[in-house]
Amino acid sequence: MTAAIASTRLIRFRRGVTLPILLLIAWEVSSRIGLADPRFLPSLEDVAITAKRELVDHDLIGELAFSLMRNIAGFLIGCVAGVAFASLLALSRTADVLITPTFNGLKQISLLAWIPLISVWFGFGEQAKIAFVALAAFIPIVLNTYEGMRNAPADLVEVGRALRFNARQRILRIFLPAAMPSIATGVHLGLIYSWLATVGAEYFLSVGPGIGGLVIAGRERFDMALVMVGVLILGLVGFLFNRFAYALESYLLRWRPQQE
Amino acid sequence: MKLISLVRFAAGAALALGLLASASHAEEPLVIHVGYAAIGVDNRPFAEGTSAATARAGEYLEKEFAKDPNIKIEWTFFKGAGPAVNEAFANDQLDFAYQGDLPSLIGRATGLKTKYLLASGTRKPLYLAVAKNSGIRKIEDLKGRKVAFQRGTNGHLSAIKVLEAHGLKERDVQVINLDSAGTVAALTSKDIDAAFGDTQLINLAAKGSADVIYTTKGNDPRFGRNAGIIGREAFIEAHPEITQRIVDAFVKAAQWSSDEPNRAALFELWHKSGTPIPIIEEYFSNDTLAYRNSPLIDGLLVSQYTEQAAKGKEYGLIRRDVDLEGWFEPKYLNDALERLNLKSFWQPYGADGKPLAS
Amino acid sequence: MVTAFFETVIRAGEGTPSPWRKALALGVAGAIFPAVLLLLWWVASDRGWLAEQILPSPVYVYETARDMITSGELPYHAGVSLRRVVTGFAFGAVAGLGLGVAMGLSRRVEEYVKPLFLAFAQIPTLGWIPLLMLLVGIDEALKIIIIAKGALVPMAVNTHAGIRGVSPKYIEVGRALKFSDWQTLRFIVLPGAIPSIFTGIRYGLTHSWTSLVGVELLASSEGLGYLLVWGRQMFWLDTVIVAMIVIGLVGFVMDKGLDRSEILIQRWKREEI
Repeated sequence: MTAAIASTRLIRFRRGVTLPILLLIAWEVSSRIGLADPRFLPSLEDVAITAKRELVDHDLIGELAFSLMRNIAGFLIGCVAGVAFASLLALSRTADVLITPTFNGLKQISLLAWIPLISVWFGFGEQAKIAFVALAAFIPIVLNTYEGMRNAPADLVEVGRALRFNARQRILRIFLPAAMPSIATGVHLGLIYSWLATVGAEYFLSVGPGIGGLVIAGRERFDMALVMVGVLILGLVGFLFNRFAYALESYLLRWRPQQE
Repeated sequence: MKLISLVRFAAGAALALGLLASASHAEEPLVIHVGYAAIGVDNRPFAEGTSAATARAGEYLEKEFAKDPNIKIEWTFFKGAGPAVNEAFANDQLDFAYQGDLPSLIGRATGLKTKYLLASGTRKPLYLAVAKNSGIRKIEDLKGRKVAFQRGTNGHLSAIKVLEAHGLKERDVQVINLDSAGTVAALTSKDIDAAFGDTQLINLAAKGSADVIYTTKGNDPRFGRNAGIIGREAFIEAHPEITQRIVDAFVKAAQWSSDEPNRAALFELWHKSGTPIPIIEEYFSNDTLAYRNSPLIDGLLVSQYTEQAAKGKEYGLIRRDVDLEGWFEPKYLNDALERLNLKSFWQPYGADGKPLAS
Repeated sequence: MVTAFFETVIRAGEGTPSPWRKALALGVAGAIFPAVLLLLWWVASDRGWLAEQILPSPVYVYETARDMITSGELPYHAGVSLRRVVTGFAFGAVAGLGLGVAMGLSRRVEEYVKPLFLAFAQIPTLGWIPLLMLLVGIDEALKIIIIAKGALVPMAVNTHAGIRGVSPKYIEVGRALKFSDWQTLRFIVLPGAIPSIFTGIRYGLTHSWTSLVGVELLASSEGLGYLLVWGRQMFWLDTVIVAMIVIGLVGFVMDKGLDRSEILIQRWKREEI
């Protein structure tokens, strides 16, 4: 039984790595025999050398740290503000009726379209970038938290009323726990969007250290290897965020009965 | 009831955040924020070709305040050039800045409270480079082609004037908005057919990656571009003495940059921006240093700004009339010239472009 | 007191038995907040409390919008952007649907392709732009590829999930009825996966629209994203706001349109069964 599982796992793994390996071989061969213009497709070795150069001689880790700091700072602000704002909309009928339509209208404006206004409102420097990242996390978190709180089981809400919970108790004891799965989804989306926004902020707002800036600089210098290193890191961080979000989700929801 | 408590909660949170923010703002030493509407090669925080670039690379401002430990100078270089400087002025993030004519006029028209303190980087030429094998030999050939410049900079207005003089309008070409580094990349890869710019294009042509087919240099001086040091009104009013010392430092930098014996040393200093020295030499060929680095707000400069404002309006770049009345503030400059004994160092020009007898 | 007033309005709306009056009351209530904001904005800029370089007066924004519509500038740029999105989305959605179906139907394809696909999907769309700029330049092809990529990922993921979600029991039934592979796909798998595919279309379109703005911000000489850059460079915040409103409106219309068609398709599906 376990042996069978192990062998299917092995097959899956073998199949999973087949295409990537073929791709790498095709890449290496075409750059070796000069099939591809090295300006467009540098050899794997070049990419590795560039990665090493950036790591050792330049401050790749520092650049990454800058991007991550920006990302996390913005994300946390967006998270806290998002949950607070969504609680207001979900718990106060007045606020809901008055503000929700406006929010739903504003959220339609594609995230990157805010760049010019953010830039004028916050100028250059970190605050503009962090504000943009916060906005990116804010929107999905508000949407999902709101959804989760509105769908809080009516009997629970009833219990809260019977126990004469005050607003704080109702939020902390009933609505937040009930909305937890939705909030987790919102946080997950918020993480993904805020990473996208971090890259966007580094592209379109002022020059500063960061992986996005590195990629842009690579393009300007025709350094395809550098662009590839940057893009690889962008993907890797995205992947880790995704993983982290899944882990967080299952941790936050560990008290719930298993689905499926 | 519940709404009120929630609002109270939100207000409390906002207040806490606000306090945090203001606490981080309350720094003891006075930081003077100086902006520069350009950036060096590979984003080096240096520039070339102006007395402001000299002040930066030669640390004139830092030296001026060397004995005041409470005053710090902080330079910011903007890849987004003049338009980005306007955004920073709008947020009170800059106290002084080197900025080209069109963006500073746009800022003025949009209601930024600034003053024009002295000229820096005047009469700068503009170049037109075309991609290899693009088949473009003269400006008229640009019709319908992809032409890059950075919108909203003084090069933009200058480029339109050049096009206009050759029977083309801005709409007749496909304008691609690119900054200096982006222009170099796009021209090399032939993503665009042509670009307006300055040293980065001379450099590209020297490397054989593009051809410079036109320059305003030696052509009609009306096509040239100007720039100057802009100050934030509120800062100037609050710190007139500091403003005076800042202007003094810029004037000293302008003087050093105008002395012909310093030519080689000056280009060496500007080379910090990453632009090779031969390129800077080419950029300044046939011009005296004093002609390009004069800080004077003379008849010629004022008339050129007035014309830029009118042309900017005519071409739809500035949507409202720009009121130049009271914008030029030569008080600090004149005071500096007086004290530093430089009253007759630079040749003033009249509105007609002819030297004034001094 | 203000709160009390609103409470009354809302209660008045909710108290009525007529759904029309209720919708009207809610609509009015929902319009109060933006109206108040607009009024505040207008008063603040009229009195000069709000610096023009931070937020231009709504009157000015309105005039700019009017001028840009009558001059044909705004419709032109919006048209360019829409054309790009439609083309890019069509390519991306079809490719994503194909990939999703292939991965959904065959375990083998899934095992070969999915890891690589997921690895590619991790890279934010914005990350691809500089890389593709080096490869294909800054012309139309760049925009179409980026927009297509925006649609492809959610389309493939959701189609795949939708097909996997079809209960094996139904497929058993099909087998019992001696359905051919095509019939199984046509009558059992695809209808079962439709809600999920629709989610894919929806996310795909949203992503395409976001990607469009990104790619137009970075390299373009026309389109709504270009209007944003243009306005930013020229310090015309009124133009920026007009472009933002149009971007929001188009997003809204696309979203609502999908909403409607989703309802229609669900209804049609139910009727068919």
